Amino acid sequence: MNAIPLILYLSAGILYAVHFTTRNALAGRTGTAVLTLGVVAHAFVTGMQTQAAGHVPIAGVAQAISVFVGLLALAYLYMEMTTGERALGVFITPLLVALQLLRVVSSVVEKRVPILESPWFGVHVASLLFAYACLALAFVVGLTYVLLFKEIKAKHLGYFYARLPSLESLDLMNARTVALGWVCLTIGVIVGVIWTLQAKQGPNVDPRVQAITLADPKILGAVVSWAIYTFALYARKRGAGGKRAAYISVVGFAIVLFNFVPIGYFLTRSHNFGG
Amino acid sequence: MHLFLLGVSHKTTPVDIRERLDFAARGLGPALEAISRRSGASEAVVLSTCNRAELYVACDEVPAARADLLAFLAEYHDLDSGALEPHLYERVDAEAAQHLFRVAGGLDSLVVGEPQILGQVKDAFAAATEERTVGPVLNKVFPWSFTVGKRVRTETALSEGAVSISFAATSLARKIFGDLKGRTAVVIGAGEMGELTAQHLQGQGVGRMLITSRTLAHASALAESIGGTAVPWTELFPTLGQADIVISATGSQLPILTRPQAEQVMRGRRNRPLFLIDIALPRDIDPAVGDLESVFLYNIDDLQAIVQENLARRAAEISRAEDIVAGEVKRFEAWLATRGAIPTVVALRQRFEAIRRRELERLQPKLAGLPPEAGARVDEITRLLVEKLLITPTEQLKSTPDPERVRIYADALTRLFALDAEEPARGEPGRDSAARRADDAGTTVTS
Repeated sequence: MNAIPLILYLSAGILYAVHFTTRNALAGRTGTAVLTLGVVAHAFVTGMQTQAAGHVPIAGVAQAISVFVGLLALAYLYMEMTTGERALGVFITPLLVALQLLRVVSSVVEKRVPILESPWFGVHVASLLFAYACLALAFVVGLTYVLLFKEIKAKHLGYFYARLPSLESLDLMNARTVALGWVCLTIGVIVGVIWTLQAKQGPNVDPRVQAITLADPKILGAVVSWAIYTFALYARKRGAGGKRAAYISVVGFAIVLFNFVPIGYFLTRSHNFGG
Repeated sequence: MHLFLLGVSHKTTPVDIRERLDFAARGLGPALEAISRRSGASEAVVLSTCNRAELYVACDEVPAARADLLAFLAEYHDLDSGALEPHLYERVDAEAAQHLFRVAGGLDSLVVGEPQILGQVKDAFAAATEERTVGPVLNKVFPWSFTVGKRVRTETALSEGAVSISFAATSLARKIFGDLKGRTAVVIGAGEMGELTAQHLQGQGVGRMLITSRTLAHASALAESIGGTAVPWTELFPTLGQADIVISATGSQLPILTRPQAEQVMRGRRNRPLFLIDIALPRDIDPAVGDLESVFLYNIDDLQAIVQENLARRAAEISRAEDIVAGEVKRFEAWLATRGAIPTVVALRQRFEAIRRRELERLQPKLAGLPPEAGARVDEITRLLVEKLLITPTEQLKSTPDPERVRIYADALTRLFALDAEEPARGEPGRDSAARRADDAGTTVTS
């Protein structure tokens, strides 16, 4: 069932690619429609799984990734609506497809351990996933900013020059997505800390909770990425927007993604509560 | 009914003749009126731009319309028609539509892909609509050409990329800064090139225009003419600190902005992008300034190269645009062909109706004994019968897409029913079309 949104995301991606290369307006509009359909289907599938399992399926990494994919698509659609720019669709959709593919490969809804029944859990994961979605957008926007910047700087006005929005609007999109992402990241991390402190006080402490320290790769990764984005915001306040901000958001998201997928799967000792 | 075009353009006619064929000066109204007063054309649109003067008309007889339009051109512009004739080109039906589609798509323009022409075609059509000189044919082909123009614009890159230096500079500025409303442009040097680019930027709605020159009076004069503010030369560097776009076009032999100076300027700007356009010869800005981060430096050769590249890219798009035109012309041809069937359909119906009436007339003595309702019923039944017999061939003829086949069908019908002969069936050679119309109107005609 997870394959339905995947197929829709893939189709939307192809349509966006056609739109980007041939600049056919109809392909772009159809791409948006198919992507919207994909998000709706994704929400529906997630809803069904929630009903079947009795809780939102975000405990395991693959499940969380899938919810993240839906949120990213939603955030992208919002950006498309507010700016009227479809050119970035071709950069976002591969990310959606690749991450949703992970979900399809491991499609069981994992059982939830008692520790995760805390109300903090939902807030923690939801705000972090939304933060990642925003930061992913910032990453894509930053990447395109650098591509366009280089073309203009090198005086080779070519492919991207003809297709991307202006540097100024890319910079603005980057600033907004980073700011929103940082707020959600901060909420997620603070809630995580509070929740861990509470959980450690109970009588039968889960050994995995016991093992949560700053030295855990996953926690460390989260703190590092939070620090990077805090720096990005600070630097922008000081006037360093543009290319530097773009680079920071590219690097920042690379760490977020690394933290989310390979570390989440293989490296963390404590922070993996999927069954 | 034919679509006919007679015209001159930059491709066929030297400018001194084009000038004399200009319709814009006197307005299109009188010209359209003058054409419609003549008998040759039933519909007319006049397209007059600085590169072309074209008359699009719908007519029954092309040679007559041609002679008529030629006479009109000579008379209206007070020219000798013999001198005019070698410069004119003419197109009929699908070829005329093809020409119009190419014009609307910017394919026939001096600068291929220039976007103004579509607006000019729309204006020409609007003027003719106002004068009520358009009918079924031009009402079809002109809006069709707007669609073609729009398709060419959106589906190909034919109109893309700046093809003049000042426009290239402006579109770069837009790509860097987006909306130029809140931006400040500084013009250094009050020469002609600086003025031209400044005007372009002003046209694009740049927020603030500051002008500086070694001679303040020159700066003030330019500032006045384009609506900016003059700044003393000594204030140059502080002014650059506020600028987003700088156009430098002085006659100075030495660079006026060196790399250390630019570094100084950038320090106060905290990485806000600065777009420097150096259109002076020799150059005003040290090329090394372009190596600074957040500085985009373009000199006149860079801009020239962009223009050349854009022209080449447009040229590469021509065949795609021509494909779009060809496809639409084909569809237009099909439409025109179904229009071509209309006279045949009308003639066929008239023939059938005439036969029905004649038979009723013939049977009149026998039907006279019937009560009036029964007589009316007979009339109704025969009418319906004829209607039913004709409905299928009529629709078949109208919906055939292939023009050649339509012609064959129309031809066959004309021959089989002898539609071009005057009522041959019962041999009434003396009846003219007026009598036939009378027939249709129900007037009694003895058989």
